Amino acid sequence: MMAAVQSMPSTSRDVIMGAFNGYREELDEYYDRREALTKISRDITSLSKKCIFLLHRLVTDPSNKPGHEREVSVNAAKKGYESLGQIKGMFEGISEHLQGNDFWKFQRTISPGLQEFIEAYGFAHYLEHNTLLPYAEVQAYLSTDSGQPYFPLPYSDYLLGISDLTGELMRYAISAITTRGGRARARELCDFVRDCRASFEAFAPQIRGMDHKQKTTTNSLRKIEDATYAMSIREHEFGASPDRLDALVSQYMSGYGQDRGWEGGGRGSRSDEQDEE
Amino acid sequence: MDEKDFQEMSVQLEQEANLREKLKDEVLKLEQKSRSMQGTMNKIHATPTAQLPKIISTVKPVVESCKDDTRAIAFLVPPNNYWRWKQMWSQAVQGVVFTLALCKFLEDGTLITLPEVSQVLGVEADWKDRFTIATEDYLHGIISLVNELSRLAVNAVTLGDFDAPFRISVFVKDLFAGFSLLNLKNDGLRRRFDSLKYDVKRIEEVVYDVSLRKLNTPTTGGDETMS
Repeated sequence: MMAAVQSMPSTSRDVIMGAFNGYREELDEYYDRREALTKISRDITSLSKKCIFLLHRLVTDPSNKPGHEREVSVNAAKKGYESLGQIKGMFEGISEHLQGNDFWKFQRTISPGLQEFIEAYGFAHYLEHNTLLPYAEVQAYLSTDSGQPYFPLPYSDYLLGISDLTGELMRYAISAITTRGGRARARELCDFVRDCRASFEAFAPQIRGMDHKQKTTTNSLRKIEDATYAMSIREHEFGASPDRLDALVSQYMSGYGQDRGWEGGGRGSRSDEQDEE
Repeated sequence: MDEKDFQEMSVQLEQEANLREKLKDEVLKLEQKSRSMQGTMNKIHATPTAQLPKIISTVKPVVESCKDDTRAIAFLVPPNNYWRWKQMWSQAVQGVVFTLALCKFLEDGTLITLPEVSQVLGVEADWKDRFTIATEDYLHGIISLVNELSRLAVNAVTLGDFDAPFRISVFVKDLFAGFSLLNLKNDGLRRRFDSLKYDVKRIEEVVYDVSLRKLNTPTTGGDETMS
């Protein structure tokens, strides 16, 4: 009986197979493209992270000379921009897959890399200008020389990307606070992150995921606030001038100095540094 | 911090939120129709085969009215933004595809194609960057059809139609062969496809039960013309 059923002439089967062959081609093309873009997004994420680490290393390098903070920051930003050039090339490479209606088809695929890139770019921008990276500047960066965007930059990716920046700035503030002249920097960072948090708040209901980022930003802000508070308490406790406190801090830090590549140890190093002021 | 930058962004995001609300309203209409049609079609499990056309005819006007909703959505979605919003109506569309496919199978024993679905729902070719029936949604609808047919095979027998499982079995095997052609990824479609084999198995069991007891029309070869 079963055999009889199976041997029935089935033109409907041919129609179905023909149709599904078509669906396969379409799905294969979509899956292949999505996979390729996923890989590129991951590469962009990892390059962006490297850029962020590079920036941290450059601005908190113990061999940076005190009193040249601005210069150090700007130079670090320049190196950061250089390392981001490769990412720009990658975005340019995938732009042909992101034209017209296809952009939103793959937006979620490239979103992680895009946000990480914006975070790195935002960090470099902050180091150079002490300001928040404007949306228009990111879109301009992700455009051809003649100003044609590689793809329309979504507000959501921009805002979520720069929102992550506050975490990096917190790290920067905490490690800067123990360096000479770092407390002033930490206060600047504190004010900046506070402003960021206030500006982003309006977007929390509108952008999915922003609410969560705001919580992280709030935590980061708290950490910077607590650290600057601790410093300020000590400043008053010692009644010392900022320079004197710098010296105290670096004396304290030099006890841990070996693994961070600080030269010399203890008192000697401190008095050397004080002489330079 | 450039306040103007943020204000501009805020205005645009506000507009998007408004669009989302409008789309939600339209999609809700489609969703309600989709649900109500599925509710109507559920009666096939308790209706003798001969009376199925009557059920199908009550669904037809609702299908026709879906054209208004697809048109309304297509005119709300900004150019090139189809994929951005599509998630909102995926489920509704999958339900409609399922209903259409079920009607089509009950009417003439064949599979409704994707272009046919688009035509029935009045989807126009030049809407393609605003509203179209995504292949994935179509395939989800077809998988629902197979799920439904395995139930129907059982219930038709209960109602005394011993030939229905044979018609269903042939059709579902063809569909299964079709789905086997696809290179599915580990997503929702893949998981649902993996569940199809249980439906196929269930239908096979019904076919086996019926043929073992020789309850079906002896000239099995003529099954297809009997629907």
